[in-house]
Amino acid sequence: MTHGTAVRIAWAPAVTAGWTVTVVTPDAPDATATGCFGMDDAALVAASIDGRREAFDVIVERHRRTVYQVCYRFVGNHEDASDLSQESFVRAWRGLKTFKGHSTLSTWLYRIAVNVCLNRVSLKTLPTDSIESTDHFEDTRVEGAQAALLRAERAATVRKAIASLPKKQRATLVLRTYHDLSHQQIADILGSSVGATKANFFHALANLKKLLGREP
Amino acid sequence: MTHLTSAELIDIVEGTLDASPQQHLDTCTECRQQVADLAGVLSEALAVAVPEPSPLFWGQLSQRVRTAIDTEPLAAGGWSRWLRWPVLAPIAALALIVVALAVSLPREVPMESAVANSEAAASTLDDGFAVVADLVGDFDWETAVSAGLIVAPGAADRAVLELTALEQQELTRLLQAELTRAKS
Ligand SMILES: [Zn+2]
Repeated sequence: MTHGTAVRIAWAPAVTAGWTVTVVTPDAPDATATGCFGMDDAALVAASIDGRREAFDVIVERHRRTVYQVCYRFVGNHEDASDLSQESFVRAWRGLKTFKGHSTLSTWLYRIAVNVCLNRVSLKTLPTDSIESTDHFEDTRVEGAQAALLRAERAATVRKAIASLPKKQRATLVLRTYHDLSHQQIADILGSSVGATKANFFHALANLKKLLGREP
Repeated sequence: MTHLTSAELIDIVEGTLDASPQQHLDTCTECRQQVADLAGVLSEALAVAVPEPSPLFWGQLSQRVRTAIDTEPLAAGGWSRWLRWPVLAPIAALALIVVALAVSLPREVPMESAVANSEAAASTLDDGFAVVADLVGDFDWETAVSAGLIVAPGAADRAVLELTALEQQELTRLLQAELTRAKS
């Protein structure tokens, strides 16, 4: 816990009856379910361990987009990304007591999501999200439907190529490129060194170039 | 000629480059081409967003997680369940009383008396506070500090250590009154 509770004593040495005592409590989170929304991550973890599932609901709500995006980058399709996201949060729930607060909750959740993705033995499906279902056609009047379609096709190709990279390269590329984690943070998550992370990133980009070179 | 390592090439692409690799880069077209290729594919990858799922998806995901963990009770227990705000403030205050009394009492008075005093003082409060008093009796200073209970440092600490018995009583009374007020 990062919060402190202080008892403040204003003390007048010459006058025994002259003390004023104030119990100073920093903005305490509301004990009700809706009160969880005002709590920081550390308080939410403590409340969840305390058995308050509504606190874990807030953790999920706060981090579900990030976790989903990591998973989506990994697999390149919505269905698998949904399953992996769910599994990541279930594992987080099981492992809450092991969260020591040495890293931020989001870094801890990155680690879980990446491990869930890395340990996925085989994917149910290949990246198959159709262009129509996943890509928004913005500014079609300006750039033209044809150009928008090409752009969407290319994006789908890039996603598919990323999802087919070797797993550690994929993890490194996803965390570094899309989530702005440092090489050190990625090394911590993957249990490797900064040098290995940079090498993985290099090979990920080199392989991505090869894969994209084959598909215009 | 020794070309740049993969790590050095990544440093260049990311703009965190030492001087010596830069010298090599100036003279080596092969490495320059590598850097350009890496930067190009990185830029292309960066431009690809994750498609936004249906707005309904997020609520569904939360519901799926909730359903999945509903069958997995996470046993509450251990000292962490005391890290709740309604409990923290009185613990901190009572911990101060215990520590202040224990430290300032004459040597012939056993430590237990100080703890008993604080428990007796707390007994006028309701059952919830009695539980807290029990807990405070078990709390050692290290635990209190590591649990994030911070007793105001500096002048107040030194002052408490120099209190007479009467002053200690008065301080205890004031703390009790304040805690009762804060609780109501
Ligand atoms: Zn070279």
